[in-house]
Amino acid sequence: MKPNDDGAAWSIVGYLLSGLLFWGGVGWALDHWLKTHFFLLGGLLLGVSASIYLIWLRIGRNSK
Amino acid sequence: MRSLHLLRAEGGGFVPPSSNDFNFPSFFRNSEYFTKPILLVFLSVLMISIFFIMASRKAAIVPSKLQFAGESIYGFVRNDLAKDIIGHEFMRFVPYLFTLFVFILTNNIFGIVPLLQFPTMSHVSFPYVLAIFTFAIFHYIGIRKQGIRKYIKDIMFMPGVPKAAYILLTPIEIATYLITRPLTLALRLFANMFAGHLLLLVFILGGDHLLKGVIGLKLISPFAFAFGIGLTFFEFLVQCLQAYIFTLLTALYIAGALADEH
Repeated sequence: MKPNDDGAAWSIVGYLLSGLLFWGGVGWALDHWLKTHFFLLGGLLLGVSASIYLIWLRIGRNSK
Repeated sequence: MRSLHLLRAEGGGFVPPSSNDFNFPSFFRNSEYFTKPILLVFLSVLMISIFFIMASRKAAIVPSKLQFAGESIYGFVRNDLAKDIIGHEFMRFVPYLFTLFVFILTNNIFGIVPLLQFPTMSHVSFPYVLAIFTFAIFHYIGIRKQGIRKYIKDIMFMPGVPKAAYILLTPIEIATYLITRPLTLALRLFANMFAGHLLLLVFILGGDHLLKGVIGLKLISPFAFAFGIGLTFFEFLVQCLQAYIFTLLTALYIAGALADEH
């Protein structure tokens, strides 16, 4: 494995974590204020999808 | 169940290793700060300085063994990490990357050096400080190189994306650059060293405890010790790998900050 591939692997983990934490956090906060139960799940799913999109933009698109 | 109770009564109760094993009393009564990890950090600085001063003092075309050892570590950080990743401006960053690598490596390996046997980086404050350095350096370089507005714009707004997607993506980018990157950098190193040290404690202290038990347990004890020794070699790999990864990611972040487009 080349060093740059190593780095790509770690930045993928970083993006996934950030997506989950941010949008999951937003969902959790909405649930907390509105006394609902579905925003957390929705936020986590949204966060993961957005992260994967972002990873594709940043890393997947350039390595043809 | 009954036999378990008997074992307990006989062995005087085994205290499993816990995070308490990572707290050391101070060496001096009048200062609470001078503990074993602090001593190890000073020791590492002293050892690294002496080693590399000795290795480079009588530099010759045909290197001595010591000079060769010193130069191979330096060459590894300079060529395989800095040059390959950062590109033509790499020389400016070699001193930092080299210091970082050698410092983390030495402090990690203290975890399996007889008598010292404690990885300094299993105290989370040390990785935090190193991650803060890296964090400050790569943002500073990015801002210096590209100007603050362009640097922030490059982080926040990916080119070639429909405008609506920015609502989703920009918070993730900001969280990644400001929170996730430094945090994962520090916690990865900390957690690996903490878990590794705990694992060794479980097998070595467990083996020691079994040795004090009844004859059946005494027979099992060597296996626990053998596992402990095996894991020590495994731990050596992890320690080197973590020092490498920390330096590698620092180099990658610097390279990312220098690049015109991310």
